Amino acid sequence: MKALIKKELGHYFNNPFGYIIVVLFAVFANFMFVKDVFVIGQVSMRQFFGLLPWIAMIFVPAVAMRALAEEKRVRTMEILQTIPLTPTQVVLGKFIALVIVCMVALALTLGLPVSLNMIGAGVGSSLYLPEVLVAYVGVVCFFAMALSVSLFVSGGTDNQVVAFLMGAIVLFILNVLGTDVINSVVPEVLDRAFTTLSPVNQLSSFIKGVLDVRSIFYFASVTSIMLFLTIMDVEKRS
Amino acid sequence: MIHIQNVSKIFGDKCAVSALDLEIKVGEVIGFLGVNGAGKTTTMRMITGILKPTSGTVMVDGVDPIEHHLEATKKIGYLPENNPLYPDMKVQEYLQFIREVKKHGDLMDIAAKVGLTDVLNKKIETLSRGYRQRVGLAAALLGNPHILILDEPTSGLDPIEQDRIRELIIDLAKEKIVIFSTHILSEVEDIANRIVIINQGKKIYDGPKPKGKGAVEKLFKEKVLESDTR
Repeated sequence: MKALIKKELGHYFNNPFGYIIVVLFAVFANFMFVKDVFVIGQVSMRQFFGLLPWIAMIFVPAVAMRALAEEKRVRTMEILQTIPLTPTQVVLGKFIALVIVCMVALALTLGLPVSLNMIGAGVGSSLYLPEVLVAYVGVVCFFAMALSVSLFVSGGTDNQVVAFLMGAIVLFILNVLGTDVINSVVPEVLDRAFTTLSPVNQLSSFIKGVLDVRSIFYFASVTSIMLFLTIMDVEKRS
Repeated sequence: MIHIQNVSKIFGDKCAVSALDLEIKVGEVIGFLGVNGAGKTTTMRMITGILKPTSGTVMVDGVDPIEHHLEATKKIGYLPENNPLYPDMKVQEYLQFIREVKKHGDLMDIAAKVGLTDVLNKKIETLSRGYRQRVGLAAALLGNPHILILDEPTSGLDPIEQDRIRELIIDLAKEKIVIFSTHILSEVEDIANRIVIINQGKKIYDGPKPKGKGAVEKLFKEKVLESDTR
């Protein structure tokens, strides 16, 4: 599986595509926060982390779209099926590589808390770093969940554009669950269910600096279920 | 040994392979012949474990390639039809990946055998068809499998490249089971010692290679026409 992870990372970082997508994410994410930071007037990264699920809605499917769809299009799945790799190793190997790519992208936003802390120190206020650390943990969990969803979608088609669009649509639907827009139009019982199932709501406790075990369980469960379904799908298509 | 017993494969309402029985021992070089759509590739995919038979059993050295995928794939080197490769990888990177997964095989030795030493640092997408075919063959040879399954290994190659690949297969066949499919019947005359002809999913001939120039072509046409008129 290590060889597969290395190969997958090579596809992203031995070609311009990987760098473009990672840098675009970092530039966009940083800009969306920095443009309002002096307007908000607070030494806090909460707004930044609140934006990330919406940026991830585009970034994550863009990273994951080629993972299985491209293998099917150029028929290199046959290679993976005839070397000593199980479908589980193939899916997990690709997933881990995708998580590493996303973590590289997130690492490019680490300049924000450093800069904000320096600015805050200048005005007698500083960033509460444990809150930022917990928020990053939450964001990584969110991205892992989003990647598992996008990987499953990528396995259902041999067209990268379709994989991207389907992944973005599914993540959009997940993101809007539990928002006020939906809550105001659905019955209360559905409202409560959507609020619990909403990954954005589950992320909110991390953003506030709270390491909620229920939220960790939520992200771990959804990720595991989606990876399991992807493995079953890859096995079935064999 | 490869043991195929009463194997059928049905896709929807099409029977791609029907009640196929085949036993292949070490030292045999099978020329697997048939018209387009006869069921050759489907049969090869069932032997490699890519496809599960609808009925019947396939055993590779006593191991079911579906149930015991990891064990079976260590024994088989497969060159698929159309030779899918990763175009953005360099030759050495790709072969290194295959070697690391198979955990066995001397990359430089195989590259030299197949004639890839000069292009190891080139991206696969920049290679000619002949060189790409060599890359696919090198990948199949890594791990030192004792069964080689080559689906149209010289398809689309120029005559000089065809001769090179043919010579390589003859050399490899001395110590391995080799099953290769081809539409170039002279190749079968040069390489194979046994011929299996399949038509409309059914085996219509399984026997030693006939002697004499042009004998394979004559046999093939005879058997296929006979099968079509039945």
